[in-house]
Formats: sequence, structure tokens, C-alpha cells
Amino acid sequence: MKRLCVVLTIMALGVLIVAPIPASAGQPPLLSTTELVENSYKWDGKTVSFKGEVLQDLMVREDGTWMNLSDGNNTAMGVFVPEGVAMPALSHAEDYRTVGDVVLITGVFHRVCVQHEGETDIHAVSVTVLTPGSTKANPVHLDRVVWFVVLAGFLGLVMWLYYRKPTRGTEH
Amino acid sequence: MIRRVWREDFRIIGYYTGLVTIGVGLLMLIPMVTSLVFREWASALDFAISAALTLLVGYILALISRTKNTPGLTHAMVIAAGSWLVAMVLSGVPYMLSGHEKSFLDACFDTMSGYTTTGLFLLQDLDHISQGLNMWRHLLTYVGGQGIVVLALTFLIGSTGGAFKIMVGEGKEEKLEPNVRHIAVLIWRISLIYLGVGTVVLGLIAIANGIKPHLAFFHGAYIFMSAWSTGGFAPYSQNMLYYHSSAMEIASMVFFILGSFNFALHYAVWSGNRKEILRNVEIVSFTVTVLTTFSLVCLALMQRGVYPNAVALFRRGFFQLVSGHTTTGQSNIYARTFVREWGPLGMLATTIAMAIGASAASTGGGFKGLRIGIIVKGIATDIRKLLSPERAVVTGHYHHLHDNVISDGVVKSAAVIVVLYVLIYVVGAIVGMAYGYPMVDALFESVSAGSNTGLSCGVTQAGMPTLLKIVYILEMWMGRLEFLSVFTLFGFIATSFRSMRLRKAAV
Repeated sequence: MKRLCVVLTIMALGVLIVAPIPASAGQPPLLSTTELVENSYKWDGKTVSFKGEVLQDLMVREDGTWMNLSDGNNTAMGVFVPEGVAMPALSHAEDYRTVGDVVLITGVFHRVCVQHEGETDIHAVSVTVLTPGSTKANPVHLDRVVWFVVLAGFLGLVMWLYYRKPTRGTEH
Repeated sequence: MIRRVWREDFRIIGYYTGLVTIGVGLLMLIPMVTSLVFREWASALDFAISAALTLLVGYILALISRTKNTPGLTHAMVIAAGSWLVAMVLSGVPYMLSGHEKSFLDACFDTMSGYTTTGLFLLQDLDHISQGLNMWRHLLTYVGGQGIVVLALTFLIGSTGGAFKIMVGEGKEEKLEPNVRHIAVLIWRISLIYLGVGTVVLGLIAIANGIKPHLAFFHGAYIFMSAWSTGGFAPYSQNMLYYHSSAMEIASMVFFILGSFNFALHYAVWSGNRKEILRNVEIVSFTVTVLTTFSLVCLALMQRGVYPNAVALFRRGFFQLVSGHTTTGQSNIYARTFVREWGPLGMLATTIAMAIGASAASTGGGFKGLRIGIIVKGIATDIRKLLSPERAVVTGHYHHLHDNVISDGVVKSAAVIVVLYVLIYVVGAIVGMAYGYPMVDALFESVSAGSNTGLSCGVTQAGMPTLLKIVYILEMWMGRLEFLSVFTLFGFIATSFRSMRLRKAAV
């Protein structure tokens, strides 16, 4: 009997080691806005991970904070961080001259959120800053300055001709 | 017999097109200043280059074709349609310089969408554009809503005899005052007062929603310009979803409903004739068609169980439907939600609402409530005639500012324009289907472009076929100008070639 127990235990351990463990068992799947919107019924109510750049405005409300995370070209998702969920200090939020912090959130995806009157959103249970943001260079290119000077010069000349020249033309 | 085209015709058209172009160039100074305020030096330089180029083109046109002659009806129509094309191309320069467009065609698509108050866009990485470019996008839609020619009339052209005809060519056919410049000033006065009120209201809501005060009023101005002009742009790619705010959506909805009303109705109300709101055929038509199409949307959404309760259904369903009906295109759902969740009936109901559209002489597009009202009353009158004794004299009436008699001519004019709209909607849908898009999606997007709405179910993307982009540009342009001036432009070009051949033959 003892021998049988040992054999079964070894077999069970072997199965545990060899068998593939689904990703969702440990970490919620990392999804994009496109995936969530295209397959909204599939992910509705599930815990997911989402990674994106913090867009400019963090909107603090009575019961939590809204932030919008951009995860690609013209795709972004609204994330609601309820009061009580630890919100890390964010150093940068996106604007034209700033790259916002990239954060990883884990939370529950709602196809149509009951609390937020049908909004498609994620309610965060954890927020982590992955990459702090930075200030972007905003260089003025010399060739464009030259273009402007040339165009402005021509414009000045044409305007001078326009306002100097007496009106001509015949009345019908 | 079609008349020949002479050099003086080109001069008149060139001169007035030049003046409109100068107006567009001056307009570019506003986003340039915005960029300077936000210390976006590269963006400010882009606008300085664009303004210099546009002003240069405008002044050259005005200089080489300067004339004292005033435009006739043909000139006026050609100027109106042609100015929009010139403005589209030159206004695309700052888009292109920003590096956020994949091609110049995409830039032209976005500017035509802005000027025609459509709201579809191909801009890349909208969430990272400068404040200057955002100001430009919304300014285009605000100015386009009132009319580019109206802008030029106010500041540059003056009260020439042909000026009103150019405005008619731009779809502003209501003669509110005897003096055309006064009409243009009046349109701007009404719009600017609303701009002030709208910016403050929406800005305060934005502050209450947690947006930083120094940005809140820019958000307020952008959303107001988008709503009032029934444009549909927003500063971020999530559109109205960015704000997570029912107050913002309600305030915006009030402004886009107001923007979709006829300027003549605004003027009547401002002049003290408040009863006009209840009696006007366009308001009656709008109310009936909104209720009908919203009932269909509710049916579709309830059948599919899309929303968990009535509040959610109303907030999403009603906002989207009215946004479509007023041809605004602001959205508080994701574009693909239409396809994935609303389904064919929900999409078709929204498509019908977009196709009908806003009021005549408003900032909106589509068939227009006035035409729908006239056609329905015309059909009702015909039915009454059939049911009455042969000797009975049966006349139909509709109320638009005053009581008007329904004549066959009025019904025919309205029906012709509606048929032309249907034609462009169908052509756009067929081209979409030819590229493999499902029928409902292709029709939805085509109607959205042709009625200048801007709601999207995901067809409009930078990667879509080039021909489809061109078809949508043409749809937006024709839909906004209501065909007549565009057809006159085509006719004028054909006549010009014929006249050249005749002259060569004579030599």
C-alpha cells in the first residue's frame, strides 16, 4: 500500500511538472484596447492586465480616480481606480512635450459598467508604474525656419504689390 | 444654351477665391498663437509656414485676378465650391508638417472632414498632437459650420451684389437681413455668443470633473466648437469617452442640438418670436424622426440585451442616436461597439437618423428636416386630393418662419436633393462593399461621410483603400454644399475647355 502511495505521489508530481500551466492561472492576461473591444463579451467581468501610457488628465472623483491609458495608435481605455486601491505617484502625464508614465494595471473589465452607466472600462485592483515618463525634445528644424523666411519674404513682396497697385478692371 | 467662359469670369472667380484663401491664412494665426502659448515651438513654426504659404497663394490669386466686377450666380457657385477645395488643400499643410499624417491625401481627408463638420479622421496618434493642431482641428470645424465664405464675407468681401449668391452656394440660403454682410455678421455674432457661453459651461464642467483649470477651458472650447458646428471632433481619440462624465455629454448634447437648428430659427427666437420653436416644420420633423429612430435603437439594444438597465441604455443609446441625427458624430461608445454589440438593426436605425440629418441652413448635414417635412406634407396633400371630391381645392401648408403653401415645385426641389443624397450614400456604400466591407458597415460609413456626421464603425482608418478615401472626400464635400455649387463647378470646368477649343478653332 505504501509503495502504491509513493508511486501515485511521484506520478502526480510528474504530471504537475510536465503539464502546461495556462497563463491565466497565475497572471491575468495582458490585453489591448482592440482585443477588449472586439471581444467584449468574452472578457466581460474577467480580471485582466492592461498596459498603457497615462494620458494627460487624472480625474479625481468622489469615489475614485479616472485615468485614460493609451496603448497604441488612437486606442485608449478608461481605467477607474476606486478609492482604497493604492495609486502610485505618477511623475509624468502625456502632453505634446511629455511622454507619460507607462503603467500596468490589473483589474476587472466591464463591457458595460453598471456603476458607470454602461461605460466600457476597467476597474483597477492594482496599479504599478512600469516606466517613468520623460520630457520630449521639441526641436525647431533649421530647414523649416529657412522655408518660413523665404515664404514670408515672397508674401511681403506680393502684399506690397497688392496694396500698392490701383484697382483696375471694367464695370459691366 | 450654355454660355461661353471668358477671361473676366476667371478673374472674378480667382479674385474672390483669393479673398477666401486669405481668410483661411489669417485663421491659421490662431493655432499658431495657441502653440506659442503652450511653448510648442516646432508646431508654432509649422503654422507660421502654413499661414505664410496660404496668404501667399491668396494674395497672388487676388493680385493677378483683381476686378471690380461682382460675381453672378455661376461665378458664385464656382467660388463657393472651388474655395472649399483650395481651403482643403492649404489647410492640410499644417497637418502634414506635424508628422501625424501618413500621406497628403489623408491630411486633405481630415481637413475636408473638419470644414464639412463631418468628424471622421485619419490622423495618426491623435493623443499626442500639439495644442496648436488640436485648436486647428476644432477651429476648422467651427468655421466650416458657419461657412468659410461667411467668414470671408464678414471680414474681407463686403456687401457686393454677388456676395449673397456665394453664401447660397455654401448652403446658407436664408436671407435674414437685406444686407448680406449683416447676415454674415449676424451668423458670427450668434455663434460667438454661444462660443463664449459654451466654453465657460463646458470648461466649468471639465474643472468639476477633475481636469486642470488651465486646460479645462481649452477642453470646453474644443468640445463646444465640435458640438455647435455638429462636427464631432474631440481632443483625444476616445472622443467623449475621455471625460467619463454624463454632465459633459448632456451639455454637449444641448449644444449640438442647438447647432443643428436653422440659423433663421435662432434669429427668429433671438428676435422675440419664441413660438416659432413649437410651430416650425423642422422642429416637428426632427422630433418625430428622433423618436422613431430612437424607438428602433431601443428595440435593437433590448433585443440583444446590450445594456443592463434603462439608464445605461438611455445614456449610450440616446446620445449616440441624437449625435447621429444632428450629424454631430460625437461618441460615448467605441466605434467597433456598433458592429460588435449594437448589431444590424441598431446600426441601420442610426444610419437612417444620420441620413435624415439636421435642419436646413444649420451647421449640420443630411437630407434636412425641412425637406423631409415638405415631402411628407406633399404626400399627405396628394392623398387628401385623391380622397376629396374632384372639384374640391385642396392645398397643403407647412410652417417655416411663416405659413407656406406646398406647391409641386417646392416638393420637387426637396425630392431632387434627397434623391441626390441617396445617390451619394449608395455609391459610397457600393465602393465600400466592392472592397469587401460588409453591407451594413459600408452603408453606415458612407452615410456618415455623405451626411457629414462622422460616426464610424471602424471602416475609416489610414489603411483603408485610397479610392474609398477619395469617395468619402467627395461625399463630404458634395453633402456639405448640397450639390448645386459642386455641379456648377464641374459644368464650369467642362464649359471652359469647350470655350478654349472654340477659340482655338476660330484662330
